[in-house]
Amino acid sequence: MKIFFAFFLVILAAFGGYHLSFRRVAGRSRLAWIHLTGLEFLALGLLLGPRFLNVLDESTARSLEPLTALALGWIGLLLGFQFEIFQLRKFPPAFFLAMLVESTLTVLVSFCFFYFFLPVFLPLPGSLQVLLPLVLAATAACTSQSGLALMFQGRAGSTAAAVRLVRYMASLDGLVPMAVLVFIFFARTREISVTPLHILFLLAAALAGIFIIYMFFLAQRRDADELALVIIGMTVVTSGTAAIAGFSPLLANFCMGVCLVNLTMEKEKIFHLLASIEKPVYLVLLIFLGASWHLPDFWIAVPALAYFIVRFAAKIAGGMSAVHLLPALRRGFPGLLGLGLVEQGGLAVAILFDFQQRFSGPEISYVVGFALAAIVFAQLAGPYCAVLLFKRSE
Amino acid sequence: MMKSGLYAGENYPAYAMILVFLVLLALGMKGVDPGSVRQEAGWINFALGGTLLAAFVISKLAGLIGLPNLTGYIAAGILAGPFVSGFLSPDTVDRLKLIDELALSVIALAAGAELELSAMKKRAGAILLNIVLITAVVFAGVSVFIIVFGSLFTATAGFSSNQLAAFAILAGVICVARSPSSTIAVINECRAKGPFTDTILSVTMVTDILIIIMFTAALSAARVLLADTGAVSWGEFGLLGCEIAASLFAGVLLGKATSFYIKHIRRDFLIFLVFLAFGITRASMGFNEYMESRAGVSLHLEPLLICMSAGFFIRNATDEGGFFMENLHRISMPVYVLFFSLAGAALNFNSLMLCWPLALAVVLVRAAGLFAGSWTAAWINRDPASHRRSAWMTYLTQAGVAIGLSQLAMRELPDIGTHLNTLVLAVIAVNQIIGPVLFKLALHIVDETGRNHHQPV
Repeated sequence: MKIFFAFFLVILAAFGGYHLSFRRVAGRSRLAWIHLTGLEFLALGLLLGPRFLNVLDESTARSLEPLTALALGWIGLLLGFQFEIFQLRKFPPAFFLAMLVESTLTVLVSFCFFYFFLPVFLPLPGSLQVLLPLVLAATAACTSQSGLALMFQGRAGSTAAAVRLVRYMASLDGLVPMAVLVFIFFARTREISVTPLHILFLLAAALAGIFIIYMFFLAQRRDADELALVIIGMTVVTSGTAAIAGFSPLLANFCMGVCLVNLTMEKEKIFHLLASIEKPVYLVLLIFLGASWHLPDFWIAVPALAYFIVRFAAKIAGGMSAVHLLPALRRGFPGLLGLGLVEQGGLAVAILFDFQQRFSGPEISYVVGFALAAIVFAQLAGPYCAVLLFKRSE
Repeated sequence: MMKSGLYAGENYPAYAMILVFLVLLALGMKGVDPGSVRQEAGWINFALGGTLLAAFVISKLAGLIGLPNLTGYIAAGILAGPFVSGFLSPDTVDRLKLIDELALSVIALAAGAELELSAMKKRAGAILLNIVLITAVVFAGVSVFIIVFGSLFTATAGFSSNQLAAFAILAGVICVARSPSSTIAVINECRAKGPFTDTILSVTMVTDILIIIMFTAALSAARVLLADTGAVSWGEFGLLGCEIAASLFAGVLLGKATSFYIKHIRRDFLIFLVFLAFGITRASMGFNEYMESRAGVSLHLEPLLICMSAGFFIRNATDEGGFFMENLHRISMPVYVLFFSLAGAALNFNSLMLCWPLALAVVLVRAAGLFAGSWTAAWINRDPASHRRSAWMTYLTQAGVAIGLSQLAMRELPDIGTHLNTLVLAVIAVNQIIGPVLFKLALHIVDETGRNHHQPV
């Protein structure tokens, strides 16, 4: 019974929240930007979780696996749809390089910091000494572009080019974290029944098969309802396949998204369908993560703050390096570009969720716990930093 | 990719290839030992998604030989289910109950919304006559058959005369039950509209309410027969009346709320609809539990009735009926595919194996009763000959309500209830396979297909 109530509450909250948080943004005060981040849903998840109401306990969350698999897959597919080569070519190559420089530098800085400092206050066994800093680095590189899109919609004038670059970087800098995630999922397989080589073979064959099925389905033009059925079914199948192979549903669907957007005729229709429920899906993930949020004591704020500061510094350094290293960006683009990339957003949440689903243990709960707290800081600081950046540029 | 005009716009070779690849993929995945909880959960997701896609493809292929989509969905479920390939295990089917509930609520909303008061008023006499005659003939036919010939069948040979009478009464009532979900699905698929369609739809929906009252009466009678006390609990009927009234009222309130949403927000109505459908089911279950555990009153809100009443209210008492119907049609496909493929996977062929002679006999007697009842009603109403001959075919399908009632009987009267449940599951297995095919055929015979294009208001 609890499972049904939990499901209903989660869905209702996500849907209602989507309307409150994302639909009515015009004329809001700066403080109200908090709503844009959907952070209240993280709090709602925490409330519903085992620490308080215990509506969304561990076993209930496990029973709702198809929903979370669909949600993770949906985000992965949507991210994959950002990588349409034809569209990317419309932007200067320097934009792509800037994104790569900034994102890679953020990953490197964050990884080095946590590789050396994480074991100081958290004893980590074996492979976790590398994996946990890698996850933190991957999430650190992610940037949300929804806040930016809503704040600077249709912005013209002197900052238009900078806004364009920041939004471009924010939408594509998930590429590097995805590459890091591939390594994470292949690096540790001792909890599952397949070896890394087996995973690789199984996944390659399965994803090729799934892609062929997609192509057969999309070989003829479909009505909206048929297309929705096909995309939902295929996303769940892809997520399931990845989970059976011990791989990431997020990544598997991301790969499918990249292939689909570049190789199918129905890409516009599919993208429209995916984007139409992106926000509720994101809020559902926030609630589930909130429910499993491990906050042992107040002191978790310390590593969270450290993570936030390191990421902030890495983003600033990354932005600065991109502007200074690439000649095409030296004029007309602010040096403190990284200020526009502070908001962390949905992909970071999805990566943490994916990671927590695949790996478990007290160290992982602790790290995911403070990473989530750091995301909260980033979501709160992000809009102010972005406004600061563009005020300085004007 | 090949696309032939022969196939009227559908790429059938592609569908066949999809099926081949899905099977290969499933075989490949089945080879992986699910060593962790995560992998097990992955398998459930894979099975759910795979069955959904296979059902869609099989329904398209079934269309090639003129079968309804519904048969394709059910066939996919049977093929994927525990009795054929085992791709969906009984445990997996059970874990996917959540989706089942959601789909059923959406279908019930659609069922209510399909009922047009003005059309019902026009055909009130015919509807009433059909309900009375079909109910009486089917109930009497099945009950008398079991009482007279029950001792000849292994499943009921060991019953005392009182047990056999109780069994016959309950089986007779359950045989009156139909499947509103299947009715709606076939009507939607065929885009059927006309007096024949309106009549069968109204008869099916009203019978769905009537059957709950009849079953309560039958259960009381069966208790009297088995316990030999001679006491009938009239309080139960009073409570049942309250339940039905409360469910209908709750439906009206929800209909009003939905109409308010459409009028003032309108955006993302599809998502709202899905959440509403699920919320009704869950909230009524929560209410029932609360009333039983906290208030000590066994007052049960019936989610199906609430949804039907909400749909009916929106369609007939508000200006938002057209928008509501249009959106229901937009989500009907994923909902039907999920619901009926899972229903197919849940069909109990073990029961059919155990008592197939009695089950087949009951199926035949029920069909004969449906024919006699509907033919007589149509004859009295002076309906066209084609209506008279084919109406019975549309009443064959049975599903959720019948299963629910037999399970209730099993809990209340375990001595005969277990046998009854086995028989009902077997009868449903047969009816759900042949029912949709004959339903579609009947709609073609009366020439009411392809006219129901809902226009937004």
